Amino acid sequence: MTIIGKSVVRKEAEEKVSGRAKYTNDYNSSSFLHGKAVISTCAHAKIKEVDTKEAEKLTGVRAVLTGTPHVLTGEEIRDRPPIAYDKVRFHGEVIAVVVADNPIIAKQGASLIKVDYEALPVVNSPREAIKKDAPLVHEDVSKYERDDGANPIPKSNISNYFRIRKGNVSHGWSESDVRIEMEFSFHPSDHIAMETRAVTAEIKPNGYLYITSSSQAPYMIKKLLSSYFNIEEGKIIVNTPLVGGGYGGKASVQLEILAYLASKAVGGRPVKMINSREEDMITSPCHVGLDARIKLGSTKNGYLKVAEIQYLFDGGAYSDKAVHLCRAGGVDCTGPYYIENIWCDSYSVYTNHPYPAPYRGFSHSEVLSAFERAMDILAKKLQIDPLELREKNAILPGHTTPTQVRLNSSTVGNLPECIKRLKNRMNWHEGTRQEISERIVRQKGISCVWKNSTIPTDSSSGAILTFNEDGSINLISGVVEIGTGTKTVLAQMLAEKLKMNVNNIHVKMTVDTQTTPEHWKTVASRGTFMAGRAVLAAADDVIRKLKGITSQVLRVNPDDLAVGNMRVFIREEPEIGLHFHEISHGYTYPNGNAIGGQIIGSGTYIQSRMTNLDPETGAGRPGPEWAVGAQGVEIEFDKRDYTYKIIKAVSILDVGKVLNYKGARGQVVGAMSMGIAFGGRETFIFDTEGRVLNPQLRTYRPLYYGDHPEYVVDFIETPHLDAPYGARGVGEQGLLGMPAALANALSEAANVSLHNLPITPELIWWEKEGNKQ
Amino acid sequence: MIPFQFEYYKPTTVKEAVSLYKTLAIRGKEPMYFSGGTEIITLGRLNNIYTEAVIDIKDINDCMVQKFDDKHLYLGAALSLTQIESNDLFPLLSKVSREVADHTARTKITLGGNICGNIFYREAVLPFLLANSTVLIASEDGIKALPINDIFNKELQLDDGEMLIQLVTDKKYLDASHIAIKRRRQWDAGYPVISIAALKIENTIRLAISGLTEYPFRSQQLEQIINNRSITTDSRIQYFIENVPTPILNDTEGSDKYRQFVLKNTLKDIISELEGV
Repeated sequence: MTIIGKSVVRKEAEEKVSGRAKYTNDYNSSSFLHGKAVISTCAHAKIKEVDTKEAEKLTGVRAVLTGTPHVLTGEEIRDRPPIAYDKVRFHGEVIAVVVADNPIIAKQGASLIKVDYEALPVVNSPREAIKKDAPLVHEDVSKYERDDGANPIPKSNISNYFRIRKGNVSHGWSESDVRIEMEFSFHPSDHIAMETRAVTAEIKPNGYLYITSSSQAPYMIKKLLSSYFNIEEGKIIVNTPLVGGGYGGKASVQLEILAYLASKAVGGRPVKMINSREEDMITSPCHVGLDARIKLGSTKNGYLKVAEIQYLFDGGAYSDKAVHLCRAGGVDCTGPYYIENIWCDSYSVYTNHPYPAPYRGFSHSEVLSAFERAMDILAKKLQIDPLELREKNAILPGHTTPTQVRLNSSTVGNLPECIKRLKNRMNWHEGTRQEISERIVRQKGISCVWKNSTIPTDSSSGAILTFNEDGSINLISGVVEIGTGTKTVLAQMLAEKLKMNVNNIHVKMTVDTQTTPEHWKTVASRGTFMAGRAVLAAADDVIRKLKGITSQVLRVNPDDLAVGNMRVFIREEPEIGLHFHEISHGYTYPNGNAIGGQIIGSGTYIQSRMTNLDPETGAGRPGPEWAVGAQGVEIEFDKRDYTYKIIKAVSILDVGKVLNYKGARGQVVGAMSMGIAFGGRETFIFDTEGRVLNPQLRTYRPLYYGDHPEYVVDFIETPHLDAPYGARGVGEQGLLGMPAALANALSEAANVSLHNLPITPELIWWEKEGNKQ
Repeated sequence: MIPFQFEYYKPTTVKEAVSLYKTLAIRGKEPMYFSGGTEIITLGRLNNIYTEAVIDIKDINDCMVQKFDDKHLYLGAALSLTQIESNDLFPLLSKVSREVADHTARTKITLGGNICGNIFYREAVLPFLLANSTVLIASEDGIKALPINDIFNKELQLDDGEMLIQLVTDKKYLDASHIAIKRRRQWDAGYPVISIAALKIENTIRLAISGLTEYPFRSQQLEQIINNRSITTDSRIQYFIENVPTPILNDTEGSDKYRQFVLKNTLKDIISELEGV
């Protein structure tokens, strides 16, 4: 291979580093009106009155929208009015939208709207939500319209109940010599993408709806708006320019709905809505919280026999993606281990918190934070080295997963090899603890990870290839360039396949749902896999067509032709052939006769052999492959102050095949830093009334330059045979084990078992001394 | 985006600035002196502050001074924190300053803005409290010089229209042994859980604290406790903590109890660092 694996510079790099790259909010027009939301200051309250009179009087205000009972939205359960009606259910919920001539008037108008609330009792955690006498966030969830996959419990705060029943749990307990039981929890937080969400919507006089959005899911915007508002799908056209980071947060459809309603309220004129950072954090969907309870049983030699698990996902005030997050958390409810007997109840639960979007890893970092902490607790009880415990139980080809899929090396990769490499890269044989001084201890902590996607069984992707007169190729795919460099990797795949220079492949960066073939959603590390397969299929189509016309011109059998360096040539006489520019737009004979025509290649991919999950046992095939890995951190901990620094963070990931080395490393390091921030610093802090006290970057702080450790990233390559060049997903894995590795290192260093994220010095102080005062 | 309209003025003399302020105030413009503008932008966009006229003091030479005379160091209120750090004329101030916000913000945040602004940590004031500095304040009536410890009570007690021009510090404090410790909720960015500046002069430790309460302070009573060498360090710290002003902050940076814990260890470090020298 010549191009696969190379660190090809991403095709949009120059635009980005020069500051010329354009994102949704960079497109302006004097014809735009501007919308501004008024958001709730209460977490749960009856809306007694929304007084819009002053705002409506303001010169330049064109419309003021408030809630109505008519339309409910939500991905699997339709429980959410786009603008709160009658009640607000979380701090940050939209209560009104002001549309005005410019953003300043819109903001002034928004500040003139007065809301009269009557406070209602608040559900402030998932555990509280499932108590018998808990206030109901929704009066009766079962009355909402819903998809077949959603399984709410009537007249409760449970919006989805998903279970795994594998093997025989009581049998597992009877085989166990040692058992542990633990709880683990963390609050919701946020993605903090650099670009806050932005949308423009315009309804043309002919009824066509044009949306431009900073979205990971333009095709889903089209589908959902069509279904919510009964608009013909063909009349909805969604554009996505470059997107400034998504991390799952931009896979939810929310601001688009408001922009559409706002445009409709002003006769279809284009309306732009952008989130302030505060709105992007709490009004638009956030990162899910979790309360977990895990029981593990093992033999005295450290072989896991049983896992009994309860996950309560903090679904916030509206179910949206929480239903799916809860299912994904159930599907991979354990770490990457072979456990014969598994019982898992996974719930998404209504609370009066901001509601979640997907978050990089889609429930896997959340579940692994709890489960991998439980593994260390078990190792300690067994007095076994924590890596050895994981090695003993590592899931292998031939084993079955919690959803009872029997694995092979293509579908699971090589976890033991990852563990072995981790040991080596962390100098595990030197020991895990080193006393540096009286106060400072250096400590290692680890976690294993796995990740599969649980996207719909029929998810698909398409690609189109067209030619320029010079024979260069345009590559058109529905993958949104959210900063992952996927479109450049697709060009590399095509260049590899056609044995040509990647510089002669031009990638269409933006997506337009009318002309770009659909890619389900740019999520779940499925870009290189599904879009990659579509591109390779399109390449086959192009090759067949190129050979077809060449065989006519050269009067040879197409099977005797080969393609390379933008030429189609006779395999045994390579000097005889035609350049792409001679055939890609038809071949013209010296006398002027022409044959063929322009060549357009197309290719599609649909996931194959995925199955729905059995509602009783969860059994089924949720996604194409599990990518596995092992991760660790080395920290220096101050035993007096309970402060710590992360010195080194290590990821050994089985990525199947590295497609673009620096791109892959960048993805992994970025994900690791996000995991470190999730584990060590980022969280919403709620008051007793359920309000978020830190919805600002002043007080909610992601990692800064100086906070980063040394990053060590190594790749194992066990091919996933279904995937282009064997590559597994690489966008999410780096995040997944970081919080658990950190929690494990700090629990050892501080000699206290930690059960919450993020782990701040205050949390450790609380566990060591504060709670005893 | 700042949701209100305001006028912008850029006077070149102190006199012009204060008389502008008066005129604008009479016109009901709720004027504000400003230099870096970080609070106008970040609090203005949230409707937490409001003005219809700002008076930019960056072009006033007196506000940009960094100079010595025989006995004193003069630092202008409109100097950015990064300017102060790179010239490093007052080493303790540089140390405190380097821990405020981040470098990008500190190229804008000014000495006067940090001391007189709305965000209550005001850490840049700590070294001046310790050095018994003098503040030069301008008003319609001219310029007056006041001991900072008289006029700084929770915040700089300025009358409407008064403006901080310079801080004047006796040179003997610039070389005094000192230490600045800032502890945050996590790692190296963010507001303080506790920020303490301390210096030792005439064999006595002085210290000023931000982040413990809703205002920075220096307390004679607490300094007496900390300098009372007739009792053990631990006892001194215990009395100190028992006598700090209340209420202790209890917010998203840290609980009140945790702040006391951090204070205890920070005081230990200060004593061990300064008592030996």
